[in-house]
Amino acid sequence: MIKVNGVTKIYSTSSVALRDINLHIKAGEFVSVIGQSGSGKTTLSKLLIAEERPTKGGIQIGDWDISNISAGEVPLLRRQIGMIFQDYKLLPKKTAFENVAFALEVAGESNRRIRQVVPQLLEIVGLTNQATRYPSQLSGGEQQRIAIARSLAHRPKIIVADEPTGNLDSINTEEIIQILKKINEFGTTIMLLTHNRDVVNSLHRRVITLQDGQITLDQSEGKYLI
Amino acid sequence: MALIRRVFKFAFQDVGRNIGMSFMTVFILVLMLLSVNALWSVEILTGEAVHLVKDQINVSIYFTAEAKDDQVTEIQNYLKSFPEVVNLEISNSEAVLESFRERHKLNPEVLGALDELGGNPFGPTIVVKTREPGDYQKIITALDLPEYQNLIEAKSFDEHRDAINNIQNITNRLEKTVLGLSILFAVISFLVIFNTVRVAIQTQRVEIGIKRLVGASNWLIRGPYLIESILFTLLSLVITAIILYFGLHFVDPYLAVVFPSGFSLTNYYFSHILYIAGVQALAVLILTVLSSGLAMRKQLKV
Ligand SMILES: Nc1ncnc2c1ncn2[C@@H]1O[C@H](COP(=O)(O)OP(=O)(O)OP(=O)(O)O)[C@@H](O)[C@H]1O
Ligand SMILES: [Mg+2]
Repeated sequence: MIKVNGVTKIYSTSSVALRDINLHIKAGEFVSVIGQSGSGKTTLSKLLIAEERPTKGGIQIGDWDISNISAGEVPLLRRQIGMIFQDYKLLPKKTAFENVAFALEVAGESNRRIRQVVPQLLEIVGLTNQATRYPSQLSGGEQQRIAIARSLAHRPKIIVADEPTGNLDSINTEEIIQILKKINEFGTTIMLLTHNRDVVNSLHRRVITLQDGQITLDQSEGKYLI
Repeated sequence: MALIRRVFKFAFQDVGRNIGMSFMTVFILVLMLLSVNALWSVEILTGEAVHLVKDQINVSIYFTAEAKDDQVTEIQNYLKSFPEVVNLEISNSEAVLESFRERHKLNPEVLGALDELGGNPFGPTIVVKTREPGDYQKIITALDLPEYQNLIEAKSFDEHRDAINNIQNITNRLEKTVLGLSILFAVISFLVIFNTVRVAIQTQRVEIGIKRLVGASNWLIRGPYLIESILFTLLSLVITAIILYFGLHFVDPYLAVVFPSGFSLTNYYFSHILYIAGVQALAVLILTVLSSGLAMRKQLKV
């Protein structure tokens, strides 16, 4: 599903974020990528949605080689990968419903379909009653759940979650992880980038350890070891 | 089609949910337009006033009673050959006498003296109008020929020059005042706009970044801001037009006193409406589109 072949990302001579990364993630996997601050986790996620381009090497999403993707194709790519961020990245002037609907609107879905799909998505994350609230009227956990609902809008085959629980307490963290697990059970490939030890240890799934921009460990049922 | 409808929906939503900012933007645009129009009006009035006074200036050439018709005609043709001359009016001696009597009909002493002289003491008169007030001196000098000495009794140059200078002085001062105010105003509104735009750009940047991450195409990102710019432009133009309409109606009666010719700013604006509105709409549109374009330039590069 995701193939990263010999990817190096150099922002500048003094800032080498990733060195010769080789990674193969199969469909339906739930992979955690761990590493200390500055180890290159966010950079890796940015390469996957073409927010950054690799300096060297190739990246394939499904059968699509996105190493040299054109600007016009970038939106299409982003409608196939659900991204979840630490700071939620919700549009502040749109309600919960509209934020989720936006992902469908940009893809040209019909209004009828939007009215039908968005309530389903809100139900998955348990926020049906908060549909008309603005992000500022929602708790951090609720905002992140809205962001998850939005990332699911296109029924993506892949979800990349960069530190999704970084701003949340343990209860909300647990809730978010449960939702991600549920999504994974329906067959969606999930890449979770985090440095939350408890989360990783409770998952009992594949763990990839990044250190200084290099993969130092790749365990099929791993623990947080650094 | 659905895309266009969505672009409009997002634009109107954005305006409504940032109502404070929208109001501020339109308010500033209106103030700017009003000061531009004030300057414009002063410009028009100055031109009109100077034109009016210039129009009243002329040189009268009074012939002696002995001057013969063909001599008068010769001088008339001579004057006509000057390119500066725009109009020549000739009154024969009877007409001059008639108008003299008319002017002094309430003054029996003058009429008595005229009767005592007997006959018609007046010769014909030519009234010359030229393009520019400065040309009159040339006409007067040109007639200073020895052979015309005993034909021409007097040449009078109605000294309207002072009036023109006065008007020009007043309007210059008025223009300077309005210009000064406009500059002051422009500086203030620039600062306010700058700050407003800076804040707006900051929020827009965050929003644009998010929209891109969710997979919005450039069109869907750029479109609503463009529509908003057009909307703000139209709205500020309409509001300015309404204020201007009532403002001009208020000023016009005063102008009617100053300009007996019946000059009215309202009429002027109506007869030039396409030009005036067009120029200003274009200017405001460029301003608003440019500023939001500036906000997006960096963001939209992938
Ligand atoms: N735009 C950039 N320009 C230059 N250097 C950058 C840029 N973005 C990241 N870096 C550098 O690349 C390295 C990896 O950064 P990255 O954000 O991928 O780390 P991270 O693992 O996500 O860290 P954190 O856990 O703190 O989020 C860091 O040394 C960082 O300073
Ligand atoms: Mg990071």
